[in-house]
Amino acid sequence: MTRNIKFILNNEFINADVNPAGVILDFIRDNQLTGTKEGCKEGDCGACTVLIGELKNDEVVYKSINSCLFPLGNVHGKHVVTIEGINQSGKELTPIQQAFVEEGASQCGFCTPGFIISLTGYLLSAESLDAKDALYSMDGNICRCTGHNSIIRAAERITSKFNKLTGQSENKIQVLADYGFVPDYFLHIKERLSKIDKAEFHREVNGDSTYFVSGGSDLFVQIPDVMMKSTIKFLYDNPEIKFIREENGHILIGSTSTVNEVLNSKIMLTYFPSLFNFIELFGSLPIRNSATIGGNLNNASPIGDMTSFFLGLNSTIVLADRDDNLREIPMRDYYLSYKKTARNGDEYMKYLYFKIPTKPYYFNFEKVSKRTYLDIASVNSTILIETSDDIISDVHISAGGVSAIPLYLRKTRDFLLNKTLSVDLIKDAVEMAGNEAAPISDARGAADYKKLLLKRLLFSHFIKLFPEIISIKDTVID
Amino acid sequence: MKNYDIINHVRGESQFIDDLNVPQGTLFATVYGSPSAHGKILNLDLSEARAIKGVKDIITYVDIPGQNQIGGIIKDEELLAEHEVHFMQMPIALVVAESEFIAREAARKIKIEIEQYEVITEPREAFAKNKLIAPPRVFEGGNVDAAWAQCDYIIEGDCDSGGQEHLYLETQGAFAIPLEGGTFKVISSTQGPTAVQRVASNVLGIPMNKIEVEVLRLGGGFGGKEDQASPWAGMAALCAYKLKRPVKLILPRHDDMRMTGKRHPYSSDYKLGLKADGTILALEATYFQNSGASADLSPAVLDRTLFHAANAYHIPNVRVTGVMCKTNLPSNTAFRGFGGPQGKFVIEAAIFKASEVMGMPAYEIQKKNLLKENDEFHFGQKAKHCRARLSWEKMEEEFKVYDRISAIEKYNSENDLMKKGYAFMPICFGISFTNTLMNQASALVNIYTDGSVTFTTAAVEMGQGVNAKIKEIISRMLGISHDSIKTEPTNTSRNANTSPTAASSGADLNGNAAKIASSILRDRLLRSAAEELKLPLYEISIKDEVVCHKGEPTELKWHELILRTYNKRISLQAQAFYATPNIFFDRVTNKGDAFFYHVYGTAYIEVTVDCLKGTYQFNAVKVMHDFGESLNEVIDRGQAEGAIIQGLGWMTLEEVIYNKDGRLLSDLLSTYKVPDIHFAPEDMDVRFLGLPNPVGIMGTKAIGEPPLMYGIGGYFAIMNAVKAFRPGASFKISSPYTAEKVLMNLYSNVNIDEKISSLSVTEEK
Ligand SMILES: Cc1cc2nc3c(=O)[nH]c(=O)nc-3n(C[C@H](O)[C@H](O)[C@H](O)COP(=O)(O)OP(=O)(O)OC[C@H]3O[C@@H](n4cnc5c(N)ncnc54)[C@H](O)[C@@H]3O)c2cc1C
Ligand code: FES
Ligand code: FES
Repeated sequence: MTRNIKFILNNEFINADVNPAGVILDFIRDNQLTGTKEGCKEGDCGACTVLIGELKNDEVVYKSINSCLFPLGNVHGKHVVTIEGINQSGKELTPIQQAFVEEGASQCGFCTPGFIISLTGYLLSAESLDAKDALYSMDGNICRCTGHNSIIRAAERITSKFNKLTGQSENKIQVLADYGFVPDYFLHIKERLSKIDKAEFHREVNGDSTYFVSGGSDLFVQIPDVMMKSTIKFLYDNPEIKFIREENGHILIGSTSTVNEVLNSKIMLTYFPSLFNFIELFGSLPIRNSATIGGNLNNASPIGDMTSFFLGLNSTIVLADRDDNLREIPMRDYYLSYKKTARNGDEYMKYLYFKIPTKPYYFNFEKVSKRTYLDIASVNSTILIETSDDIISDVHISAGGVSAIPLYLRKTRDFLLNKTLSVDLIKDAVEMAGNEAAPISDARGAADYKKLLLKRLLFSHFIKLFPEIISIKDTVID
Repeated sequence: MKNYDIINHVRGESQFIDDLNVPQGTLFATVYGSPSAHGKILNLDLSEARAIKGVKDIITYVDIPGQNQIGGIIKDEELLAEHEVHFMQMPIALVVAESEFIAREAARKIKIEIEQYEVITEPREAFAKNKLIAPPRVFEGGNVDAAWAQCDYIIEGDCDSGGQEHLYLETQGAFAIPLEGGTFKVISSTQGPTAVQRVASNVLGIPMNKIEVEVLRLGGGFGGKEDQASPWAGMAALCAYKLKRPVKLILPRHDDMRMTGKRHPYSSDYKLGLKADGTILALEATYFQNSGASADLSPAVLDRTLFHAANAYHIPNVRVTGVMCKTNLPSNTAFRGFGGPQGKFVIEAAIFKASEVMGMPAYEIQKKNLLKENDEFHFGQKAKHCRARLSWEKMEEEFKVYDRISAIEKYNSENDLMKKGYAFMPICFGISFTNTLMNQASALVNIYTDGSVTFTTAAVEMGQGVNAKIKEIISRMLGISHDSIKTEPTNTSRNANTSPTAASSGADLNGNAAKIASSILRDRLLRSAAEELKLPLYEISIKDEVVCHKGEPTELKWHELILRTYNKRISLQAQAFYATPNIFFDRVTNKGDAFFYHVYGTAYIEVTVDCLKGTYQFNAVKVMHDFGESLNEVIDRGQAEGAIIQGLGWMTLEEVIYNKDGRLLSDLLSTYKVPDIHFAPEDMDVRFLGLPNPVGIMGTKAIGEPPLMYGIGGYFAIMNAVKAFRPGASFKISSPYTAEKVLMNLYSNVNIDEKISSLSVTEEK
């Protein structure tokens, strides 16, 4: 079950025969690089954060990922950077490390390398420095000791002191190396990566593959030990299904587009500018960097955010079998029962598409979780309304977390269609939606709560989209 | 002055147990835990698991050569279950294999049959069924029964506070190495090296001197590794003993969360009596502590609840009763604050309810009753150098809080969707182990012939900066730079009979021991220098690694002095011991000067609640804290901020959920949420009251635990905002105040406290 994988680990070329289902955290720690820590092995603490550099348009593009969930099968041809790869020789500290020392932004130290890596990743990828963005780049790192305020202050030191880094993006790595943020060997990574032959294995379709793996951020949480014994079809680096494009009044999204790529894409933001506010509500930056649309829709979780999102846009999924025969299924018919989809075992999702809505249209996404960020939703919901002359000409509403499957609220849609919006209509629709839902009690909330929350999120859609029609005062239930 | 460990931290070079290079032949152990929370083991089938290639052994209680007993305070806890299981995931067997992967695979093949017994998870149910860990404890001061008649208001109610998972980022773990002559070295991630040594010695049935325990540092402890690091170390030692090979046992996060205890959840009844002007006359309360399956540290935790029942208030008549309820959950254990937060939560809940009934802002009641100099606590000690009022007043003044409150009221009148809330939280926390005998520590300081220095104490470094503080003390005492001093790992062969690093006392106790050791060395060195320079002793000092005469540097440098002193055959090594003076506590009358001193402070907290969705964000935490004279402001501020956020987490996001079967539902980081970087309030302003501690080492005060209790204010700030949306409503008080509970309070009637809501809240009496 081993495969030959080549990549650069810090300054060292690795050419190894490994089980591609092993996660890179184990690989680096087994290779004495113990600065990268294991805090949870489920993507939720960030102690294992490393950077992955990839050649894109003749540039090395770095992003942070959780090494505890990232399979070796996904690192071929890339640059993997751990804290040891950031350290300057001797005892000299990088400006980020120095800022952490000055602010006392490390206590027990267990989380610290992860934070330093995330912030270094931010400097490597940001176009200009901004304190808020710097903070967001660490949204996947948990520190139990400091409470984070000192870490925020350390980041602010960097963003204010080095704000002149702005705009020097042509030779970014050179600049960062000059300031001591990264060692000089970074300057040669581009050339070294370009010499690694592209491996073919990720496109391998034959064999009795048991699992499709895309970003792995779901599978390696659920069943890492099973993965070690399975044959795997890696999709993540397949360029054919990594795209976001507009075609004939539709938007098409390849299944291995990452959540980050989708939520930051120019096309999506053009049509759905409010999307910008929702980006950080999905997982954390390293999760958004690895999690894909295909993985989100196909793990078939009833509370997937991208699932809610694309279901609310009434998308259609395009599947391919071994022989590349295509089959289309509307998302609202895709989910059959808990974690079961209409996809056959040998099929995989190539892409999805949806119609660009007709103006005027209104779009909103809502998610509430116990912790606002880096948390799975208790309930989420997406709405898309098209109107003509104040009449609802089309509407789609999804609701996650309130049923065994991601819900498409059919009855509520039918009820609203061709009607004029009013407080009473909205109240009736919300009541109806509440009746379509059948939540269960679990760690994310009691059933009663989830039902109430769904109703509140639906009100929230309307209050945000139609503030002239309805306000919170109209929604108070006694 | 820097915390030198931090330089290695930021480079990822600090080593934790899992980072150590293991010798060839090391085996890996995984723990097999009970699938049932209570029952009798009928059959345990290990055959299939044993047959897996790479499995070296599967160890159960029959393999224990010594005692299968790890209870510290009460001997009621087995290392490995023999015939009965008392909580879900109670350890039953240890699978030892060539790799962790194989060990886990094999553990999944173990089969067990259990006859199911009744499972109890709630403390009041356990109490009703008379399942107690030990008899109830009662602390009493004044005359409560007589006081009620003088009260204008008597507020009765109940409230709950939830558990809290420590979530130290480094999970529990140990590495045991068999050495020659039947001795063992155990490297453990523990706050209590001696506890580990004692447990391992009991389990292996060998004397303590055959077990050396070493602790490098901890990736967080928070109390979770005070007593509960010992079982895993004991297990690793047991495996190493049986297999004669080094064995590493690191709990994966899931196992750590399911197998270890947490902060004790409490369910409490209170009765508070007040005069119409807000003066509190009497408090009676009963605390039903959810102790879990065995005693662990529960009795000591409960005592601290009783000590701190009145928080920073002077209440002349107090009777508080604590009940340790035995449930089928992992034994709950020490957690930063150690029962203090649970006690303070109850008095704050009672005051909040009183404010609703009396129509008087809670802060007026709080302020009116703050402790004054020489006020007597209900356990007989008097408040000395009391800074309760001072910190409150300075907080009021420096943060202009009443202007802020007016601004909040204005905001709330103009906003329907968002409401802001605020709360004050004063604290008073006693410093010393309440078990007096534990207030002892030792230190060893070595000077080598080249002038370099090492020290080691009983203190365990877990990020609280204790070693940096001790280094500062030694550096000041010897007049040498930090760079010349190296910290050695805590080790039972260097410092015997150590108390755990806990109760915020690490720097006080060990710092004092190190100070004494340093002063012994300093005396010898000064004598030696006086002799060398032929100058009077009293005119000699050492500064910046140079011997000074009347404060002026001489030719004699530190390293030269050291060498000459050595050549004269004078010892360059000193060991010293410290025991806190003047403290005592009578456990029969429950009276005494239990604490060496108290820490005071006041916080003001603001929050914004999204009333559409029930979510919230803390905006400001403003604190005037009594740090004493700080040895290191960066470290002390860091401790305060970290503790405050942990306290706010306990009050809000962090929800430990067990189902009726005793299964932990919040058993992953994806279901148990701790504060993240977004949670941090934008305006976190912790100020130093700035007065030295007259009895503290170098004027300092302990810092680890007290600020956590400011977090309690977070609960009431949210409730204050919710009430701005639903005026007149009164709610049941039950932490954590999750977004779920907030939304339910905003829109449903299920958690309404009808007794008080039905009262119309008016200005007059
Ligand atoms: C810490 C953390 C936070 C998270 N936060 C969120 C969150 O906020 N919101 C949210 O919605 N989710 C969240 N998730 C869940 C997860 O990240 C997402 O579901 C993610 O989109 C999965 O994508 P992936 O590519 O990593 O999936 P993978 O693990 O690679 O695959 C998931 C499943 O989909 C299948 N699959 C993948 N690609 C295809 C394909 N092209 N065709 C057919 N089947 C395919 C796989 O076989 C597997 O069954 C979080 C996960 C973690 C670990
Ligand atoms: S180990 Fe926690 S995110 Fe990877
Ligand atoms: S410093 Fe301990 S977890 Fe961050």
